[in-house]
Amino acid sequence: MNAAAQPVIEARGLVKDFGRTRALDGLNLSVAPGEVHGFLGPNGAGKSTTLRILLGLIRPTTGIARVFGLDPWADPVSVHRDVAYVPGDVSLWPNLSGGEVIDLLTGLRGGADDKLRRDLIAEFEFDPRKKARTYSKGNRQKVALIAAFARPARLYLLDEPSAGLDPVMDAVFRRQIARVSRDGATVLLSSHILSEVEQLCDRVTIIRAGTAVETGTLGELRHLQRTHFRVTGLADPARLAAMPGTHGVSIAGSAAEFDADPGDLGAVLAGIAEPGISGLSVAPPSLESLFLRHYSDGNGEQRAGNGKDSSERTDSGVL
Amino acid sequence: MSGVLRLLLFQARRDRVALPVWILGITLLSFATSTAVATQFGDEAAQAAILTLAAANPAFLFLRGLPDGTGVGAVVFFQGYAFTAVLAGLMSTFLVVRHTRSDEELGRAELLGSVPIQRAASLAATLLLGAAANLVLAVFVAGAFIAAGLPAAGSAAAGAAVGGVGIFFVALAAVAAQALPSGRSANGAAAGLVGAAYLVRGIGDALGTPSADLLHVTSAWPSLLSPIGWGQRTRPFTSPDLAFLLVPLAAAAVLGAVSVMVRRRRDVGASLLPERAGRERAGVGGTSFVGLAWRLQRATVAGWCIAAGALGAVAGALGPAVTETVSSLGPVKELIERLVPGGQAGLIDVFVTALLGMAGVFAAAAGIQAVLRMRAEEAEGRAEILLSAPVSRARWLGANLFVAAVSAAVVSTTAGAAAAVGLAVSGTSDGPAWSLVPAALAHVPAALVFLAAAAVAFALAPRLSILVAWGVLAVAIVLGEFGELFGLPAWLQDASPFRHSSAMPVESFNQAGAVGLLLVAAAGAALAAYFLRRRDLTA
Repeated sequence: MNAAAQPVIEARGLVKDFGRTRALDGLNLSVAPGEVHGFLGPNGAGKSTTLRILLGLIRPTTGIARVFGLDPWADPVSVHRDVAYVPGDVSLWPNLSGGEVIDLLTGLRGGADDKLRRDLIAEFEFDPRKKARTYSKGNRQKVALIAAFARPARLYLLDEPSAGLDPVMDAVFRRQIARVSRDGATVLLSSHILSEVEQLCDRVTIIRAGTAVETGTLGELRHLQRTHFRVTGLADPARLAAMPGTHGVSIAGSAAEFDADPGDLGAVLAGIAEPGISGLSVAPPSLESLFLRHYSDGNGEQRAGNGKDSSERTDSGVL
Repeated sequence: MSGVLRLLLFQARRDRVALPVWILGITLLSFATSTAVATQFGDEAAQAAILTLAAANPAFLFLRGLPDGTGVGAVVFFQGYAFTAVLAGLMSTFLVVRHTRSDEELGRAELLGSVPIQRAASLAATLLLGAAANLVLAVFVAGAFIAAGLPAAGSAAAGAAVGGVGIFFVALAAVAAQALPSGRSANGAAAGLVGAAYLVRGIGDALGTPSADLLHVTSAWPSLLSPIGWGQRTRPFTSPDLAFLLVPLAAAAVLGAVSVMVRRRRDVGASLLPERAGRERAGVGGTSFVGLAWRLQRATVAGWCIAAGALGAVAGALGPAVTETVSSLGPVKELIERLVPGGQAGLIDVFVTALLGMAGVFAAAAGIQAVLRMRAEEAEGRAEILLSAPVSRARWLGANLFVAAVSAAVVSTTAGAAAAVGLAVSGTSDGPAWSLVPAALAHVPAALVFLAAAAVAFALAPRLSILVAWGVLAVAIVLGEFGELFGLPAWLQDASPFRHSSAMPVESFNQAGAVGLLLVAAAGAALAAYFLRRRDLTA
């Protein structure tokens, strides 16, 4: 990865209003060349809206979007030359066969690599002769994926691409991401599935209610998380709550559970080191907790989409 | 049963905008026709004049129906019934298909199929909704006639004659929805049958026998094959006899029962004409916007070509026959010689011209469908993946407009060629038969204006574009067919593009008009490209 190079995707302060609904509320996003970037967020957070802006399909209300240094709204054709896109909800022409759709989509981009096309159809175990009307969700997804991967691109924009794929096909999909990444392509992968992003992505941006709330490598994000402690045998468990850096202390009999901030781990360890303790388990920081927190916080009012309470989003004091 | 009732209410709620628009539109047209006839043909002499003129002119009989004596009510029914019945048929067709095959195709029927109700409950609810909608329509149309001052009994019978035909097409569309695999094909087939019903009635009426005083015409046997022909036989304002409605209603009962029986026995998603396997690779042109647009449009064009071809063939083949029938009667012959310079050959020209003008409407409709397909692509999410390719929106629009224009030209050519062949076969022609092809093509410039209007609507107000595009065509048809009758000001009538295309072969080719129409169409296309570039894709 070349951090010094111009980013492939650069979005600053993107705002998008649909009538009175605010879908994006000052989103920042930067994706470096060659990076596989995870774009995580709950349903309705604004992931698809962002991708559509990056493709120049819709225009941001305010803010700047650049792809390959170009404004996708002003110059969509130049941007699209090097982009492969898989939409979140793949809708196909009911009376065309899958093979015809693949040829159409790759043909509009300049034609498929025939060997790649053949291999992809075989790998995805796809029947290209059936009419699109008869395809299941997973098969429609395969059409879009095969069309996207059957021709080399510099940037892959994938909107929840593995939705509807079975685990075997999901593995095929991951192999393709690895292949294009090896070839130096940049990938922006939107998803709401943590494990997928953990396996595939170098860096991650978490979006909620139209704003990026976290961004960084997975290691960095993990580092920001609290470590979970369970201690038994403390003489005075109640004093845990008074220690700096502890959160959510709960006491049941002689056992106490709490979370500790990464910066205060040393102090916490020293604080619980006393002769009487009979048991200690420490769980490493999990991304799961980070996501659950972002996904569930203010679910109700956030999804109404007004995004007014953006100031409260990073309220937990860890960030 | 409560399941059916619940579904009925649910479907009615889905149609809470569409159905009132249809019903009120048809009601308004009925009211306007009645008041216009009452003002323009108030006295019996004026009524007799128009009836005689019609009885002597097969084109009139073909397009409108049968003159049936004097009286405002009788003239209104003669002028408006066939159109109103076609509208009721189309309303019923779209209603039924939208709740049956379209739902099935989009997977909604599956969701409903998982709840504990009879397999055919949803279809039964749709049939009931269609019947109810036509009952309401019958009441409203009757109300419109009464409001315009026509006798109550005749008005009620006329309303029933409209609603009865509507109910027949509810049942027919239900069968089409069982037989065909997609909403589009079911709509196409059922709407085609509505058109066929009009056409067959037209043939029967054009071949009909005028009475000695030329105030009545009795239709020939082909009109018995058409539900609209049966509806016409009720003669609401002359000697009302609703028993004739029993024929289409009995047919509706049989067809409805058949559709329910088929639905009970078949798999969800299955159809009589099953989906065949497609091609593994795209054919030549299958990788471009033009290729895609043509691929999606060709079945539609084929459908309109069949309709236009039938119309053209009727014009060519039937023209001589009907004029001979008419002019074998002494009084009519004199009348024709007075009215139509050139006698029988001139009469054929009038007939052919009227039908080619109608083919021009078909051409516009075929093209509008091609333009509106862009809206379907956008609303159903396919435009997103298409426009993520490195090809500009202007190219996309251009490709679709090109295919739309080609569709209009093909449909017109088909009508002209069919008319030419018809004339050649029937052996009566005062000019080269092939000249009917350019005569039919003379309507293409006007059709192009409608395509441009549809494109501008799509670029500016995508969500309204379907309504606007068809609305513009509907208004133009009403202006063309009823403008004179309603006594609308000339500038308003001139707003219809069809007024500026040359009514050949009666008129000669109007070059200035054609160029003007082409310029308007080109300006509209440019405007559409400009605005399309500047808006968001909108689901």
